[in-house]
Amino acid sequence: MFNSTQFNPVMQSPLHHFGLAAKQEATNSTKGVWANEIPLLGYISLRGNAQNSAFTEAAKQALGTALPTQPCSMVTASWGFILWLAPDEWLLSCDRTQRPTLQQSLETSLEGIHSQVVDNSGGFTSVLLQGKNASDVLHHCTVYDLNALVADKVVGSTFGKTSLFLHQQDDGYKLIFRRSFADYIWRYLERSALPYGFGIATLTSKAG
Amino acid sequence: MTSREFSKTRIAHKNSRVDLNKPLNFTFDGTSYQGFAGDTLASALLANGVKVVARSFKYGRPRGIIGSGAEEPNALVQIDVGARTTPDLKATQVELYDGLVAGRTSGWPSLAFDLKSIGGNFSRFMPAGFYYKTFKFPVKMWPLYENIIRRAAGYGKSPIEADTETYDHKHHHVDLLVVGGGACGLLSALLAGRSGLNVLLVDDQSELGGYLLSMPNVNIGGLNAPAWTTKIVDELRSLPNVTLLSRTTAFALHDMNMIQAVELMQDHLPHSARNAELRRERMHRIRATKVVLATGAFERPLVFGNNDLPGIMTASALTTYFNRYGVVCGNNVVMMTSNDLAYQGAADLTAAGVKVTLVDNRENINPEWAAKFKQLNVQIYSGYGIAEATGSNAVEGVQLVKLGALKNVVTGSGPFVACDVLASSGGLSPTVHLFCHDGGRPQWDESRLAFVVSANGRANAGIYCAGAITGVFALQEGLAKTKDTVAEMLSSLGKTLDASGLTLTTDEITVIPARHIFHVPDGKNGKGAKAFVDYQNDVAVTDIQLAVRENYRSIEHIKRYTALGFGTDQGKLSNVNGFAIAAEALGKTIPEVGTTTYRPAYTPVSFAALAGAHVGDTFEPRRYTAMQNTHEKNTVEFEPVGQWMRPWYYPKPGEDIHAAVNRECLATRNSVGMLDASTLGKIDIRGKDVREFLNRIYANAWTQLAVGKCRYGLMLDEAGMVMDDGVTACISDTHFLMTTTSGGAARVMTWLEKWHQTEWPELEVYMTSVTDHWATAAVVGPKSREVIAKLCTDIDLSKDAFKFMEWRDGTVAGVPARVFRISFSGELAYEVNVDASYGDYMWNTLLEAGAEFDITPYGTETMHVLRAEKGFIIVGQDTDGSVTPFDLDMAWAVGMKKPYSFLGKRSLARSDTSRSDRKQLVGLLTEDPNFVLKEGAQLINSSDTTPPVPMLGHVTSSYYSAFLGRSIAIGFVIDGLKRREDATQNTAYAWADGKAVKVQIVSSVFVDAEGARHNV
Repeated sequence: MFNSTQFNPVMQSPLHHFGLAAKQEATNSTKGVWANEIPLLGYISLRGNAQNSAFTEAAKQALGTALPTQPCSMVTASWGFILWLAPDEWLLSCDRTQRPTLQQSLETSLEGIHSQVVDNSGGFTSVLLQGKNASDVLHHCTVYDLNALVADKVVGSTFGKTSLFLHQQDDGYKLIFRRSFADYIWRYLERSALPYGFGIATLTSKAG
Repeated sequence: MTSREFSKTRIAHKNSRVDLNKPLNFTFDGTSYQGFAGDTLASALLANGVKVVARSFKYGRPRGIIGSGAEEPNALVQIDVGARTTPDLKATQVELYDGLVAGRTSGWPSLAFDLKSIGGNFSRFMPAGFYYKTFKFPVKMWPLYENIIRRAAGYGKSPIEADTETYDHKHHHVDLLVVGGGACGLLSALLAGRSGLNVLLVDDQSELGGYLLSMPNVNIGGLNAPAWTTKIVDELRSLPNVTLLSRTTAFALHDMNMIQAVELMQDHLPHSARNAELRRERMHRIRATKVVLATGAFERPLVFGNNDLPGIMTASALTTYFNRYGVVCGNNVVMMTSNDLAYQGAADLTAAGVKVTLVDNRENINPEWAAKFKQLNVQIYSGYGIAEATGSNAVEGVQLVKLGALKNVVTGSGPFVACDVLASSGGLSPTVHLFCHDGGRPQWDESRLAFVVSANGRANAGIYCAGAITGVFALQEGLAKTKDTVAEMLSSLGKTLDASGLTLTTDEITVIPARHIFHVPDGKNGKGAKAFVDYQNDVAVTDIQLAVRENYRSIEHIKRYTALGFGTDQGKLSNVNGFAIAAEALGKTIPEVGTTTYRPAYTPVSFAALAGAHVGDTFEPRRYTAMQNTHEKNTVEFEPVGQWMRPWYYPKPGEDIHAAVNRECLATRNSVGMLDASTLGKIDIRGKDVREFLNRIYANAWTQLAVGKCRYGLMLDEAGMVMDDGVTACISDTHFLMTTTSGGAARVMTWLEKWHQTEWPELEVYMTSVTDHWATAAVVGPKSREVIAKLCTDIDLSKDAFKFMEWRDGTVAGVPARVFRISFSGELAYEVNVDASYGDYMWNTLLEAGAEFDITPYGTETMHVLRAEKGFIIVGQDTDGSVTPFDLDMAWAVGMKKPYSFLGKRSLARSDTSRSDRKQLVGLLTEDPNFVLKEGAQLINSSDTTPPVPMLGHVTSSYYSAFLGRSIAIGFVIDGLKRREDATQNTAYAWADGKAVKVQIVSSVFVDAEGARHNV
């Protein structure tokens, strides 16, 4: 018979099986492309009417910052990022420990206002992509014009035969994508980076 | 003669691009040869005196190298061996490297003797359309004919080993794409680069310069062509906003100026120098705001008798081999031309000591050239044409005839002139292919004798043209007009031209008009030697004339009947000659006949380049659940479901699929099994109108479903046909969680958004996919409650506290979980949902907790058997988009009384959907309990299968049920619901594999119709 003290729940990130933590090294000039998973962040999907000031005000109250309402814009908050995905849809990412408080505060603040707050932490992961050939490797993977991907802009675009969200971060890019496609996306990235040299970078920022 | 010391055929030409200090060894058709760095296979073969490189397609005639680039129709070769072998490359485009192994692709049994050449003697029996005429009957014999024709036709062989090299795609977004690295392309790129545009230039050659590489003696702004090219290229390379890609062929231009180009990255290197981490080929997908097509032109050969003899080539090819590669193709050259453009090459050859005789079709030739050639002591036959070339395996001489001054007829005889190489020029045909790929058409310009495009004719689409493609064949005029065109293009972007330091005048001799001539007459009225128009397809002038006599009127039809312009060269040399000859036969003008349609690809592209990185484990996305790592630790077979990879069955040592599935089924029905159900689509739906939204989306009613409960729903399309199904749970009055089929999730999500956004925006609901967030373990079987109870203390699992079709939030194995008591098997079952990060942990903890009950992981095959035993449908297997809920005997899942209509409701009232004798889903039992029907088997009324046999329906699902100890099946039968109740009507036959097997029509619920097993 089990009892609750025996349980020791273990989380696995979507790229867990690649054993990236064991392969990581400090970036150096021998490889043109460096990447690593920023594992197990908290993700919250938020939907609401950006034209409804009650909604935007309540969201601002809860998040400590206004929602980005310009298409393809993003906001860096003290607790993480808010990515504009659609006129009525945002993706929030934060440290996983902060997710319950953030979600609770949103739900409380949005009580009675037409909206949707959903924990999607199990459904996404992020990869940080850096190195002198980071843009080159992305040009093999996505049809998006990276010259147009300025700072604080987030886009959803193709990646191989699937899709992901993409924005600039830490002299490179952050790729945010769904758990079930993670294996494909990582393998496609690895394959595409082969000509430039591909390394697993030690994560220097929390990058949440 | 001073420069001709090196060998008879190779000279140390001061402007040659070949490095005579770097000899390279290669083999062709089993013989070893030597060439030099900078050679193509074609130039190296010519330098070695190899004349016959192929045998023709239809007649097996010996053929030699005619061109010097993508236009080459004859010299198709097999390059390399083993996994790298590539068929049907043009020797003119293959760069030589040390150790290159090249083979012939035609000539059976050998190049020296081709069996078809005997057939060639009977060529009058093989006219245009001979396939259709000769081999059509008897129809039964066609496979045999086809086999022989294919073998005789030759051409190369595809590799049979797996490709060991890698390929990829690269996307570009540029302000300007310049296609072509000749003089006008380089100038365009430079002017645009200077103005600050982001410029990409692609060129198919190994080296930039285009035809300038073949005309080093022309001066531009005081510099000779090589020096001018170097100066321009150096400046281009210094501009950070300009990218130059050599060995890159733009092969397609699509709408919105998306251009595809393929770059050959390593095929020019010896094997030892190739880097396995780099690509063999790369496909560039270029999206360009503006495009400059500076694609140049190909020289047309003139058409005359025996014009396919080895040693006969275009004048530009002969000139190119001499000036660019230092190859002297013969010591006694005859050049026939209808225009001025061949003269410079003739002059260059003469200066190097080669004997040249000119035959100009025009009575009056350019006086400047006449004077120059008089000085050079070159004989010019003006007003003459070549009626026929002679020779057996190579050209040995030509018979000249005097041509009429106004009409292309023979007016007198001429001398016989011996030669060992013969070149001809019928003018230039602009390379208009890309311009035409997305709908553009070239116009005939009689003054230039060419189908041309205008420099700014498609400027509103962002496409500009520069140089020879516009019919401007003289260099100085081409450069001047290019400058004007680029200025116009720049001004449309608000940029200004900077042409400082560029002097664009040349020392060319001004050209005089060419003669309108394509087919040189021989005066023999069609009875003379064969005169070929299309070499690769053996299309002669007489074939085109025959097609016209047989009343083919459209050039598109003439093309298909004669095969003119087909093949890997796509008629680059032959098309315009063919159009002109057809026009003459039709009594029409060339513009009235027009052109055939130019379609991608401009030159052949390998499948590997098209595939890029979409190969191997990245061929197609494979979606995995959070439990994949654990699944893979077992022996497990996977089944693709949509893009998901789902465990199919878990065989133990020695088990086949049947044994494994039988074991998994029995373990689940008798104790407990576990299925990874994470792949089901899950959509979180919230808002005050969520119940009404579901009422409209689903066929059944959602108004009354209490918090904490779940309901099965059928989703119909507008036609009333079942499109998806699943269980939806009421989380709160304003919050539901919908599940969909694994393969249908994205479609359903789009469907919900579509109806909400377009038809019912007034309903306050939002929906978000949470498919990937939740990992789901379905614990199934009589012992499932005991397993869950070991891990969960905060949910009352007792029968009445947590009923069938309810859900509870709680903690399972220390993790927050949402547990659904729902069942796709008819057994007591709990589906445990957790944040997918804990999915693998949860799965393993459940396995551990269930060990004492021998908990058995099962896959989709067992899931299918268990659900079929209960008569549960699988949308997409038991339905096909033509099935209503009533056809499925699922009227209980349709709420016809809902106040607002639901999707598909009105269609259910159509006479066809509401009639009672549609095909309906029923159970099927064979007499022999061990006989498993074939899925897809047709159901018929009698064992007599003599056609015509009325079809009743078909078997949709069929399995062996270990639990029942017999086979079971479900399928559609016309009027099946009535027939199953009527003992005189409940027999049918399932027809498959030539056998009709008797079946009894029964209820589709085979196990526990009363639901006793899950209500425990």
